[in-house]
Amino acid sequence: MVAQQIINAVSLGGVYALLALGLAIVFSIVGLINFAHGELMTVSGYALLASLFLGFPFPAAVLVAVACGALAAVAMERVAFRPMRGASITSLLLTSFAVSSLLKVVFQNGVSARPQAIAMPSWMTGAFSLGDFTIGVGPTISIVVSVLALIALEVFLRRSVTGTAMRAAAEDFDVVRLLGIPASRIIATAFLLSGLLAGLAAMLWVAQRASVDPLMGFTPVLKAFIAAVVGGLGSLPGAVAGGFLLGVIEVFLQATLPAAAAPYRDAIVLSGVIAVLLVRPQGLIPAVRVQRS
Amino acid sequence: MPTSLYRRHHAALCAAVFGIALTAAPALAEEIIIGAATAQTGGLAPYDQPALAGLRMALDELNAKGGLGGKYKVNLIIKDTRSDTAQTATVAQELIDAGAKIMITPCDADPSISAGQLTQPLGIPTLTLCGSAPVLTEAVGDVMFGTYPADNVQATAVADFAIAEGKKKVFLLTSPDATYTANLPEYFGKVFEKKGGTVVGRGTFTMGQPDFSAEITNIKGLADQPDLIMTAAYEPDFPAFIQQLRAAGVTIPVYGADAIGTPTIKGLGSLVDGVVFTAAGYAEPGSKLEAFNAAFAKHAGHAPESTYEVNGYEIGLILDEAVKTAGSDDPKAIRDAIANLKDFDGITGKITYAGTDRMPLRPVALMRYEGGEQKHVETVTPDAADVPAP
Amino acid sequence: MLAVEALKIRYGEVEAVRRVDLSVGGGEIIALVGANGAGKSSTLGAIAGLVAPAAGRIVFDGTDITGKPPETISRRGVSLVPEGRRIFASLSVAENLRLGGAMHLAAPEAKAREQEMLDLFPILRRYHRIKGGNLSGGEQQMLAIARALMAKPRLILLDEPSLGLAPRMIDTVFDLIAGLRRNGLTVLLVEQNVALALEIADRATVLANGEAVLAGTAKELATSDLVRQAYLGA
Repeated sequence: MVAQQIINAVSLGGVYALLALGLAIVFSIVGLINFAHGELMTVSGYALLASLFLGFPFPAAVLVAVACGALAAVAMERVAFRPMRGASITSLLLTSFAVSSLLKVVFQNGVSARPQAIAMPSWMTGAFSLGDFTIGVGPTISIVVSVLALIALEVFLRRSVTGTAMRAAAEDFDVVRLLGIPASRIIATAFLLSGLLAGLAAMLWVAQRASVDPLMGFTPVLKAFIAAVVGGLGSLPGAVAGGFLLGVIEVFLQATLPAAAAPYRDAIVLSGVIAVLLVRPQGLIPAVRVQRS
Repeated sequence: MPTSLYRRHHAALCAAVFGIALTAAPALAEEIIIGAATAQTGGLAPYDQPALAGLRMALDELNAKGGLGGKYKVNLIIKDTRSDTAQTATVAQELIDAGAKIMITPCDADPSISAGQLTQPLGIPTLTLCGSAPVLTEAVGDVMFGTYPADNVQATAVADFAIAEGKKKVFLLTSPDATYTANLPEYFGKVFEKKGGTVVGRGTFTMGQPDFSAEITNIKGLADQPDLIMTAAYEPDFPAFIQQLRAAGVTIPVYGADAIGTPTIKGLGSLVDGVVFTAAGYAEPGSKLEAFNAAFAKHAGHAPESTYEVNGYEIGLILDEAVKTAGSDDPKAIRDAIANLKDFDGITGKITYAGTDRMPLRPVALMRYEGGEQKHVETVTPDAADVPAP
Repeated sequence: MLAVEALKIRYGEVEAVRRVDLSVGGGEIIALVGANGAGKSSTLGAIAGLVAPAAGRIVFDGTDITGKPPETISRRGVSLVPEGRRIFASLSVAENLRLGGAMHLAAPEAKAREQEMLDLFPILRRYHRIKGGNLSGGEQQMLAIARALMAKPRLILLDEPSLGLAPRMIDTVFDLIAGLRRNGLTVLLVEQNVALALEIADRATVLANGEAVLAGTAKELATSDLVRQAYLGA
């Protein structure tokens, strides 16, 4: 029982971590909370639907869907955010809200307000036994994919020049440019990574929910935002820690809260967030950022 | 912004439809305004839109024949509630100000009640598109009418069926977020226990919840394993729940009610094999419903997605009958006429309001998903004595 | 090599630089001296592309680089060592250095250049794997200069290299700057410590209230009354 709940918590936390990480990467570079991040998930979800509809085999459809999420993120930066470069944070925030609403309407009117079913391959709804208890294939995939994605991102940020430059840009963007590294490359990479992560998260999300709908990105991006804030805005390790913490808290409350208190679940989670921020206003693992005048 | 764009689209559509109707009809007819505060966006849209499509088809046909009662041409004004209870009250007020004499409200109790609280003092008859919570009409008062088989009636039909199948132990999954999801499984539990079954556990979820794993682990951990899970969860929670349930290796059958009789759930394919749900009717060959489905397909360009279309269409017929009986467009007279309706021949069967708390007595069709298809099991009218009180 | 003509810089309503003219020849060390707020750092910022000038022209090696983005100017061969060093605190010394050459040198060349820098600054070799933020102020200044040199620039802009350093460290850093010229590098130095600056510079320009008020050889300026009274405390 307890072991199963731990698996549940890690599986959910992994998805939150991927999303929070996507938000954090963009925030660390451009100082923008991209509220249209959830719609990147929606784009990926519908891309999966379309690819399957066109008869792509399942693995190919998943690749196409994740790639669409990444491309959509880069396009979003190009079309919506690049013209706004140098504008105030408030303007950028409003732009991201506008992009989010626009995409929701596009899916609502262009496809349907109704959720669209995506039948997952039958092997994904199986389970296997490990000693005493059975583990679902779904949560296992979710955990494996999140962990691999986190490792791959870490390797990219540590080993590659662009990755190193991104970590540097999170600290001091101007100096990175002074070293001759183009700002647009850093920003585009940040959005590309956030889109990739959103696409992966969308696949895990859809695998758990078997349907896509125009509003599917709203709840997860809200949770990811909470996770990112708890972890320390703009801090990548913080986003991961925040994501897992949120997953653990949610599963713990879901598992133990008596039915009578169930309506207060979200309120309890958010109270916990406030408590964490009271003790650590900069989040669990604060971002390193040079103080400049 | 998004919704206003959408609304403009619909307004244009309405204008086109009624523009044609107006030019084709004699100019003498009087006009009656029907206000439709319905969700075109958000979580209720998948239910409100098909129901509204059925209603509009009925009103188009009636207008072509001179209007309600052959006399009052309908001017249907549609406003988007965005699936939001507060917004429903706002647009209901706008519709009242625009002169609505009949009000149509969304497929859910909470927004319907918020609109009903505005129409009740004015005596404007108010009909929910497919809201089925039996508490709904009592919460508002004598102007509020349900149209769809009530939750307690549906739950009784499903419970009777489960008992007949030999099911003994049920797990109830509810969500406190909506009257429908909170109460329907509990009505089921009452009937089930009364007829010899036991409720071995209860769980809750939050609508839009990302993850059901903790709840599912609780189900797996029950000492007394259920042989049935009953829930009123719908989209997108129902697909998420059953996907995660099956992915966790749990094969216990899941039963629901009318809200899962949709193309989305059908599209889940083998995942929902064996899921039993309800509908307002079943189109047997040669039935009126089959004829309606064909006519609707011709009218709308696509087949009905569910029985919400025919239910919406029947609302149009009920209103026509009521105005005919009332002989006027006086809201109070129309209300009285609806309340006294008895054995009215609808499309799905006989509809009776007389002697009820304004939740209609009407048959319930039991359906089952099999191999990606909706299969008709039986159509029943539960014994009134078995139906639990709201 | 570098010509700054009638440069004017404005931050909103505030005019930080009214008019600065400057010319730097190849292989020279030019000092830009003046009080705090005289417009020295803004001038360097404009040359490096961090600040867009309100008016005037900046020409480097015959090309107009006025208002070009910093990454472009860097790739033309101008490196700025910013005030306060601004090394990447969470990156290791090695990573700081690698970013310095990332856009200018191919991989093998960058490796060789890194070795040259580690030979030039032996302390950095010792702290190769240490995070930049854990170095002392003087060590960070060395790292900042080494990072700028990684790009093999032809012109290096140094903004207040002595700021906040211990006296012994200041000597080391200035010996090093003098050494750079011997390697054929051109240096534009902004420094509040006028005496120190005039010691190693060939020529100097004095800024006051955003204007170049005096220019000449370092020797001339060191003996001029204005400079002696205002900056050398004589």
